[in-house]
Parts: sequence; structure tokens; C-alpha cells
Amino acid sequence: MSVKERDPLTGHQTTGHEWDGITELNTRVPRAVWFFIIITHVWALIAWLLLPTWPLVSTYTKGLLGLDQRDEVAQKIAAAQQARADWSDQIAMLPVQEILAEPLLMDRVNSTANQLFGDNCAGCHGQDAAGGPGFPSLVDDAWLWGGDPDIVMETLRVGINSDHPDSRYAEMPAFGRDGMLSRDEIRSIVAYLPTLSGAAAGDVSAGAVLFADNCASCHGEKGEGNMDLGAPDLADDFWIYGGDRDALFKTLWDGRQGWMPAWEGRLSETDLKLITTYLQDLREEDRQ
Amino acid sequence: MMSNLTRAERGTAMLITGIGVLIGLAMAALGHGDALGAHGWIVLIFCAVLFFIVADAFYSAEPVEDRAAAYYDDPTKVGIMISLIWAVIAMGMGVWVAAQLAWPDLRFDAPWSSFGRLRPVHTSGVIFGFGGNALIATSFHVMQRTCRARMPGQISPWFVLLGFNLFCIVAASGYLMGVTQSKEYAEPEWYADIWLVVVWVTYFVLYMRTLAWRNEPHIYVANWYYLAFILVVAILHIVNNLAVPASFAGAKSYSAFSGVQDAMTQWWYGHNAVAFFLTSGFLGMLYYFLPKRAERPIYSYRLSILSFWGIVFFYMWAGSHHLHYTALPHWVQTLGMTFSVMLLVPSWASAGNALMTLNGAWHKVRDDATLRFMMVAAVFYALSTFEGSFMAIRPVNGLSHYTDWTVGHVHAGAMGWVALITFGSIYALVPMLWRRAGMYSPKAVEWHFWLALAGTVIYVFAMWNSGIIQGLMWRSYTEAGSLRYSFVDSLVAMHPYYIARAFGGLLFLIGACIGLWNVAMTVRHAPARNPARDYPTSSETMEPAVPVAE
Amino acid sequence: MFRTILRPFSKLFEFHARSHYRMERHSMALTVGIIIAAGIGGIVEIAPLFTIDETVEAAPDMRLYTPLEQAGRDIYIREGCYACHSQMIRTLRDEVERYGPYSLAVESQYDHPMLWGSKRTGPDLARLGDKYSDDWQVRHLVDPRALVPESVMPHYAALLDTPLETASLPGRLAALRAVGVPYSDEMIAAAAEDAAGQAQPDNVRADGVFERYGDDTAVRYFDGRRDRVTEMDALVAYLQILGKLTDLPQQLTLAEE
Ligand code: HEC
Ligand code: HEC
Ligand code: HEC
Ligand code: HEM
Ligand code: HEM
Ligand SMILES: [Ca+2]
Ligand SMILES: [Ca+2]
Ligand SMILES: [Cu+2]
Repeated sequence: MSVKERDPLTGHQTTGHEWDGITELNTRVPRAVWFFIIITHVWALIAWLLLPTWPLVSTYTKGLLGLDQRDEVAQKIAAAQQARADWSDQIAMLPVQEILAEPLLMDRVNSTANQLFGDNCAGCHGQDAAGGPGFPSLVDDAWLWGGDPDIVMETLRVGINSDHPDSRYAEMPAFGRDGMLSRDEIRSIVAYLPTLSGAAAGDVSAGAVLFADNCASCHGEKGEGNMDLGAPDLADDFWIYGGDRDALFKTLWDGRQGWMPAWEGRLSETDLKLITTYLQDLREEDRQ
Repeated sequence: MMSNLTRAERGTAMLITGIGVLIGLAMAALGHGDALGAHGWIVLIFCAVLFFIVADAFYSAEPVEDRAAAYYDDPTKVGIMISLIWAVIAMGMGVWVAAQLAWPDLRFDAPWSSFGRLRPVHTSGVIFGFGGNALIATSFHVMQRTCRARMPGQISPWFVLLGFNLFCIVAASGYLMGVTQSKEYAEPEWYADIWLVVVWVTYFVLYMRTLAWRNEPHIYVANWYYLAFILVVAILHIVNNLAVPASFAGAKSYSAFSGVQDAMTQWWYGHNAVAFFLTSGFLGMLYYFLPKRAERPIYSYRLSILSFWGIVFFYMWAGSHHLHYTALPHWVQTLGMTFSVMLLVPSWASAGNALMTLNGAWHKVRDDATLRFMMVAAVFYALSTFEGSFMAIRPVNGLSHYTDWTVGHVHAGAMGWVALITFGSIYALVPMLWRRAGMYSPKAVEWHFWLALAGTVIYVFAMWNSGIIQGLMWRSYTEAGSLRYSFVDSLVAMHPYYIARAFGGLLFLIGACIGLWNVAMTVRHAPARNPARDYPTSSETMEPAVPVAE
Repeated sequence: MFRTILRPFSKLFEFHARSHYRMERHSMALTVGIIIAAGIGGIVEIAPLFTIDETVEAAPDMRLYTPLEQAGRDIYIREGCYACHSQMIRTLRDEVERYGPYSLAVESQYDHPMLWGSKRTGPDLARLGDKYSDDWQVRHLVDPRALVPESVMPHYAALLDTPLETASLPGRLAALRAVGVPYSDEMIAAAAEDAAGQAQPDNVRADGVFERYGDDTAVRYFDGRRDRVTEMDALVAYLQILGKLTDLPQQLTLAEE
């Protein structure tokens, strides 16, 4: 039934076929489509000429521009580093205290640290660096290893108990699990611990003796801690793992070995200094 | 339905489902203690239910009339209903998944309800469950009508439809159990993949045989698209799913490809799943139902040729636009980018062809929500292909990749184009198939249209916003030349958009529920009507055919 | 002028349309046409990836996943983590500055399938290894919002209570060898013991892990539980190796500086 008809509406001829009542006009391909084809194809041809495109058996056409994505990103990053050199070099050179006194530099530090701290540290220490169970606050005055900028930077560089060859190493022994102390003994130490920070308690003399024998070597006679060993101060109000009975019991029974990643290799020296400065600044703000 | 099958055919059906039961049993025994075993039980139950349905009607009356005098519409009818049920399930999953991103604790405590497991239930559910069933059902209808020939074979259409649904069920239940190959849109494991090959080959043979029986000298454009859909999906599926099982008694397998070759193969597949599943097949639908409903001739046959071959050829090069700036060599990326842009021409040519076909029928578009579904679908098709070609340009993709912008693009295509054309086609098809004067409630169609449109627009705008904000936040620099935002900053900024998206999706889902209800009511309660002329011309009868069952 | 440029094209198209008019009468011709037209693109883009040597860099120090890590990878896939996390740092300045050196093809050489991802609802994980402690990973998986209040990540607390199924590991490693990962017979035979050994440093089975996979292998109580080997052990072991199979990306970055 190939009868060509004319569509009364458009005046175009049909192809002469009909399928279940459907017919087709034989309208010519509109000029705009050809135009469109030419533009896109010419654009593609230019791209093929300029960029790496066509595979050959064991190589490919490199394109007149000789571009490759890896070189491009390397150049961009180098240029970006160049562009920030004016202030990042100063960060690298100046001592932290001097950076802190330099409002312009601090402006750079603070705008940079949000991302650096947010993407790398906040997961553990919290967005506000106030820490959380198992993760020390970085804005208080209780330090395991010391709050001096150089010390902090070193802590960041090598981590604590990390895989880094120079890692700081600190372990709270598992007195209970490893059989050094009995349950009762641990309970009496736990009862004694609050008195270190001046809280009143009943008779804790048994705990006191046990503490002197077992704990003082690391945490000091009065539980004041030892920053050479990374042993925390037990006489202040700051707790990493919690100061309630249960948490203390668990700390003594299972021991603790906090794991702080080493950032060398992941963050640059300048980045580490930046974060250190930022933390220093945060603490000072907190204090006010 | 069973009355259309002879006793011998019922026997064959029982044999096939019986074999299915045995396969299920074997899987259950072999895979005991593994998800494969659970799937064995699902296969067993599925086949056993079918077996008993057939067995139950085994001795009922046999067909008396000349079956060749009528089209074979039973599988189409069932396919349409199944497709709508999948739509409600899978879009419901979409809404749930969207809500989880806004309120992450909106789930059960059980592992199956976590985002990572539900998401593929949504994606496979809409693409394969809803889209696939609609494609199979409409292709059965369209190929018979445009060939003026009844499908040869009484069992194979059922085998294709129900076999495909078995695949979908195994896929979706597998995701909930954590069975996945992780390849997007090809997640089902090796045994489901093998099964799909069997179903698909049968589908292809059925299609070719119908074409061979046709009473029209020329093959209509809609059939080119359906054919391309069947053929290319088969090629893509087989290559991308090549894998070695860790054990024939377990579900787990490992892809034959690794690393960069795997990435390229996967996105060659993934992009062309879009092209040949979500585009080609639905263009087949459009090419039949739109001119039929508008009662206008296709605007241009020549444009059809140009766009068809353009789509078939250019799409296959574009997959690497999913891998810009990655470890995929730069040269492949250039190819992907340029071919994606050239692809815009045939894409717009087919959208334009559809819209120009409406010339002289715009008053119908205004009055008839069914036609309006199709018209808006063509507009979204144009929009999402434009957006796709734009996003395929490397620097643009640098911003859009990994963000919600991609999700926005996906749903402009998937909701705006795929779902709307399907709903439009179903509303056009249901009264024809069940010989009704019209849909039970034209008002409900109208409601569905506006809910779907509003839902799509809200969804897509929310994702454009969130995606672009996300992309910009990730690469935003301070004056100091350092990154401005942490990842979590960008996450917080997404929250309002995730709520908006869930709301838009909910509207869309409500529309789909209304659609299912309306179709069910049409089948049961709408006034009947005999179509003017609807029978294969190979038949001797020159009377309007009424299905033998009626 | 426009018309002259167009003429050859429209001639060609005219020819195509006319031959098409004949071709569309033959379903086999259409079929063959579609297969040819659709076949070219894939072949041109995929086949050379196997023949052009520079596609995958040479990294002599590239190491294999241990059975425990591979089991963790399988869990990562099972739970659909890839739906939210990419493992592909692109060659873009901001990504390198945020996540570290861009990903190389060789890094996923043994990944069947790759997990580059297509959506970042959560951050990229390509350089995750050693960024956090095992303890953090476990706590984060058990309750993400306890550590990151803004997170929308689901919790995976059940992993901590599910013993790791190790009996199928030899079969899995063998399948991986079949697709090209160079596991030795010994590695395959000992896969189940090695998986258990890597999560139990005090157990003698740990020695075999060092022997077969090198002294740098992380052998730890990944989930913090000493009494049994759980799925959490496997997943955390996998997360901790991400980006650490080879040093090549870091070396390339250093060389550029
Ligand atoms: C995996 C979690 C984790 C991440 C990520 C992390 N830290 Fe820590 N950090 C810890 C833990 C745990 C400790 C305490 C170790 C201990 O208990 O011995 C610690 C200790 C510290 C200390 C020493 C505190 C003291 O009192 O001496 C500083 C300073 C510090 N972190 C800063 C940072 C910065 C800056 C970052 C980001 C660049 C960061 N941390 C990332 C877990 C983490
Ligand atoms: C070998 C040195 C050493 C000895 C002995 C030792 N500790 Fe510790 N202790 C540490 C270190 C180091 C830490 C920090 C662990 C960490 O954070 O990773 C610590 C942490 C603690 C904490 C947790 C502090 C907090 O902020 O949550 C408590 C409580 C504690 N020790 C009490 C004791 C008591 C009581 C004893 C004796 C029974 C004791 N320690 C013996 C080294 C020691
Ligand atoms: C619904 C999406 C979603 C799913 C599924 C998901 N995550 Fe996440 N993931 C996130 C988001 C959002 C973040 C960022 C906030 C945070 O740290 O929790 C994140 C963060 C992480 C991080 C911290 C990364 C970093 O560098 O800070 C790790 C590790 C992680 N996810 C692992 C996993 C694993 C393993 C799975 C699967 C078992 C998983 N995720 C599934 C959304 C998801
Ligand atoms: C009720 C309406 C719908 C809602 C609420 C919805 C919601 C969602 C959500 C939340 C996601 C995950 C996005 C992410 O990971 O961030 C998604 C992904 C997806 N959806 Fe939908 N969806 C809907 C309808 C549809 C329809 C009708 C289709 C297809 C026909 C579809 C196809 C997809 C696809 C292909 C993806 C994966 C996108 C990607 O990986 O980039 N959706 N949808
Ligand atoms: C000319 C046509 C099209 C082009 C060039 C195109 C291009 C693109 C691009 C560049 C992406 C983003 C890839 C990424 O960055 O990860 C994409 C994603 C996607 N597009 Fe399109 N698109 C087109 C048409 C469509 C249509 C019509 C649909 C739906 C019916 C669709 C569905 C999708 C889906 C589902 C994804 C997500 C893939 C994923 O999981 O990551 N596209 N497309
Ligand atoms: Ca598959
Ligand atoms: Ca995706
Ligand atoms: Cu694509």
C-alpha cells in the first residue's frame, strides 16, 4: 500500500507507507540540523587535532598542544604554590609566636586551617578541637606531650603510637587484663584517684599505696603526669577517656594506647605549622 | 488467559516451569548457607507458582477460534500491570533512599535497610522493573501492530516477560541480602546475568520472527529502536558481566576485567545502558504512541534515519565521559567528550522530530493529559541530552562529576523523559488493549500529570542547586589560595536540598500510585468499546478482532 | 557558500536515505547494520587499553591484597559503600590538595572490579589508609554520628558481631587468580588461616601472613576484639590499606617537585 499522499496541513509528501494508522512525512532534514552537524563536527575535529585522541596499536596521537592531564595538574599545583609563596614562605620561616602577632598572616592561617583541620583532624578532635571520648581536647591546658608549638608540631609530624619510625610511643598498661592487679586492687585505686584532684573521699589508703607502687613511676607521685612519657595528668579535670568510675576501671583493666596518625608525608611542613599556629590561636581565644 | 493456550502448549509451559523448579531446587541445595541458596528458593517458589497456575487450568477449554485472527495481547496486559507495580515499589524505594540522605536514621536497624543496599533496589527497580517491563510490554504491542502480524509462538512471549521478572526479583532481593557485583546498573551476580542472557536471546528471536511474519514491506522506525535496544543491550550485558565465580555453590564472582580496563568497560556499558535501555527503547515507544495519539504523521522520515543511526553510532563512543580526569588515559577522554557533543545532534533531531509531529495537534496537547505526558517527555529528553552533552565537556565535568548535579541530570532524563513517556504510553495503550472507551478517570490522569511534572521539577532543581553548590564548594579557594571548605561543610549545605528532593520524589510517587489505581479501575470498570480495526492482516477474517477469551 | 559546503554532505545523506529505504525492508540487514554501527566505538576505545603499555604504570612494589583485606573489600562491595564513596582522586588541583596525589591506573590493577565510584556523598577514600586509627574506623562504622555529628552515613554496627566467614577464601583467591591476580598456590591454600592470623597478632597463624605477604603487612586486632575475627576486622583491614599498595603516586609527586 505504497500510495504517496500529501499532508493537507504542511503540504509535505508522505513516504507512502502506513503502519497501524501511522504515516510519515518525507520532510527534508532542516537546514538547522546540517548547520548543527557542521559546528559540532568541526569542533570535534579541532579537538582531535589539538589533544591526545586517536589510539594506534601501541601508542596514540598526542595532539598539537602536547597536553596531558598529569602535566597539567602538576603545573597548576606548582603555580598555586608559587602564588601563595608570599605568605607561606613566611609561615615556614617565622616562629609561631611571631606569626601569631602578625594579623595579616593570621588571617591566612585561619582561612586555611578550616579545611585542613576540618578534613584531617575534626573526625577525631571535633570541628571545634574540643576532643571527645578517646580523643584529647586541643584547646584546653592539659597536654600529654606538651603544648609548646615545637612539641605539638613534632607530635603532628610523627604521631602517637603510629607507624612512623619516630613515632611517639605511649601505653597505659593493661593492669587487669594482663594480671598485674586484681579487680579489688583496681577498684581501690579507682576510689583513690579523685582525691588527687582534691575531692573528698573515705578511706583510700589502700589505693594510695597501690598507686605509689604501680602508677607513680609514670604519672608522678601526685598524679601530676609526665610529658616525657606522654602520661596524662590525673590531678586535673581533663579526661581523655572519662573520669567516672566505669571509665577509670576500664582504663586500668584494659590499658589504653591512643593512636594519633603521623601527618608527615600527608601534610606538608608548612601545613603542620599552620595547624599548630591555628591551635595556639584557638586556645588563646578560648582563654579570653 | 490460559484459554488462549492449547493443551500441548500448557504442557510445554509446565515442562519449562517444572525445569525451573528443579533448577531452583538445585540452587537451593548447592548454595545452602549462601545467598545463592536463598535465591534457589525464590526461583523455586516463582516457578512452582507458575506451574500450579498452568496445571490448575490444564483441563479447561482449549481455544476454538483461529488465533491468528487476533493479536496476542495477554502478555502485554500482564506486562503493563507488572510495570506499574514495579513503578510504585521502586519509586517508593527512591523516596525512602532520598529521605535517608536527609534523615539518616530513617531506617530499620537491620543491615538490609542501609542506603548502600537499598539504592540499587531503587535504580534497578525503576530501570529494569518499571522501564524494562514497560519496554517489553509495549514492544509486544508495537511490533504486532506495525507488522500487522500476530507474535509467532504462544509460550515465548510469556517466557520473556516472566523470565525477565524473575531476573528482576532475583536482582532486587539479592541487593537486600548484599549480593552485588557493584557494577552500576549491572549489579546482579553471575547466575542472574546468565539467566538474563537466556531471556534476552529468546526476546531477540521472538522479535526477529515477528518481523519475519510481517505484512508490511517496510519496518517501522519504532521497531528499529526496539531492535537496537534488544541487540545492543545484549552485547553490553554479555561483555560487561564477564566474571569468574568464586564457587559454583556461592553467589560471589569477580569481574574478568580490573582497574582501568574495567572502568572503561563498565562505563561503556553504563552509558549505553542509558542509550539503549533508557533511550532507544523509549524512543520506540514515542515513535508509536505519540503519532498515534496525536493522529499526525511523523514530521520527517529522513530525520528519523539521521537520528537513529546517529544515536546508534555516536552513543557507543561516549562512555568515557564518566571517567574524565581519572586514571583513564587522556586520549580516551577526548574521544568521549567529542563524541558526546556530536551526539547532541541526533538526540535533538529525534526530540525535534517528535515535537514537530505535534504540529497541527497542539490543541490536543492542551486538552489531553496523555498526549501532554508525551510532549513534556520529549521536552525533557531534549533537555537532558543537552545537559548530558554539556556535562560531557571535560572542564564542566570537572565540576559536575561526583556531585548531585549528575543525579539531577539522571532524573531529568529518568523521571522527565523515561517515566513520563512510559506513563503517557500506558495511558494511551490501556484503553486500546482492554477495549475501553477511555481511562476510568481522565481527571486522575490530569492529576498524575501535574504531580509528576511538579515532582520532577522540584527534584531536578533541588539537585542542580545542591550539585553545583557542592562542586563549587569543593573547589572554592580563599584569598590565601587555600581550599575554603572542608568536606563536612559541603555536606551540611546539602541538607535543605535533600529534603526538597525527597518531597519532589514523594509527589512523583503519589502520581505513580494514582496511575496504578486508575489503570486497575479502567480494566475493571471503564465502559467497553470495540476498536475500529485491530487485527493482523494475515488473518482471513476481515472483522474487527475480539480477543478469543472475550 | 553554505550550500556549497553542504552539498557533498547532503549528497551522501541522500544516498544513505535511499539505500536505507531498501535496507529497512530486511530485518537481518538492520540487525547487521546496528551491530556494526554500535560495535566500532567500544572496540576503538577498549582494545587499545590492553595494547598501549603506558596505560598502566609499572610499579614494582605493587602488593596484593591479603585474604583478610580481600574479604574486607568484598564486604565493602556487599554493603554498597561505593554508592557514596569514590576511590579515584582526579587530576584536578583541588582534589590533589584535599585528598593527596592523584590516583594511578596501576593502583587498581588487581581490583576486580574497580571501585572508582561515580558519586561522592561521602569523601573520597583512595588515600584513606592510616589516616585514622583502627579504633576510629570501628567507632565510626558503629555510629558515624557519634564522631561526625553532621554525617549522613549509615551505621554498620552489625559487622562487629558477625564472625568472618573464611572458608570460602581459598575459592575466592583462586577465582581472582583466574582473572589475573598473581596469588601463589600457597597463598590460596592458606587463605583462611592467613585471614584469621592477620587479625590475631598473638596467634601463631600471624607468622604465615608475614611470610607470604611481607613484613610490612599490618597484623593487628583491627576491631579491638581479641576473642574472634569479625567482618569488622576485615573491613577495617581493607580500609587501612587503601592507597598503600604502592608508593608510586607519592614518588611521582616528589619527582615533580
Ligand atoms: C585517628 C584519630 C585522630 C586524628 C585524625 C587526629 N588525631 Fe590528634 N590525637 C588522636 C589521639 C587518640 C590522640 C591522643 C593520643 C594518646 O592518647 O596518647 C591525639 C593527640 C593529639 C595531640 C597531642 C595532644 C597532647 O595533649 O599532647 C595533638 C596536638 C593532636 N592530636 C592534633 C591533631 C591534629 C592537628 C590533627 C589533624 C592534622 C589530628 N590530631 C588528627 C587522634 C587523632
Ligand atoms: C608505663 C607508664 C604508665 C603506668 C605505669 C601507668 N600509666 Fe596510666 N597512662 C599512661 C599513659 C601513656 C597514658 C595515656 C594513654 C593514652 O592516652 O593513650 C595513661 C593514661 C591513664 C589514664 C587515662 C587518663 C584520661 O585522661 O582518660 C588513667 C586514668 C591512668 N592512666 C591511670 C593510671 C593508674 C591508676 C595507674 C596505676 C595503676 C597507671 N595509670 C599506670 C602511662 C602509664
Ligand atoms: C549514605 C551514604 C554513605 C554510605 C552508604 C557510606 N558512607 Fe561513609 N561517609 C558518608 C559521609 C556523608 C561521610 C562524611 C561524614 C563522616 O565522616 O561520617 C562518610 C565518611 C566516611 C569515612 C571517613 C572518611 C574521611 O576521610 O574522613 C570512611 C572511612 C567511610 N565513610 C567509610 C565507609 C564505609 C566502609 C562504608 C560502607 C560499609 C560507607 N562509608 C558507607 C556517607 C556514606
Ligand atoms: C519517586 C521518584 C524518585 C526518587 C525520590 C528518586 C530518588 C533517588 C535517589 C535518592 C537516588 C540516589 C542519589 C544519590 O546517590 O545521591 C537515586 C538514584 C537514581 N535514580 Fe532515582 N528517584 C526517583 C525516580 C527515578 C526514576 C523514575 C528513575 C528511572 C527511570 C530513576 C533512576 C535513578 C538512577 C539511574 C539513579 C542512579 C543515579 C546515579 O548513580 O548517578 N529514579 N534516585
Ligand atoms: C546526549 C545524551 C547524553 C549525554 C551526552 C549524557 C552525558 C552524561 C554525563 C556527562 C554524565 C555524568 C557522568 C559523570 O560525571 O559521572 C551522565 C550521567 C548519567 N546520565 Fe546522561 N547523558 C545523556 C543523556 C541521558 C539520558 C537521556 C538519560 C536518562 C534517561 C541519562 C542518564 C544518565 C544516568 C543514569 C547517569 C548516571 C550514571 C552514573 O551512575 O554515574 N543520560 N550522562
Ligand atoms: Ca551483573
Ligand atoms: Ca552512579
Ligand atoms: Cu553517560
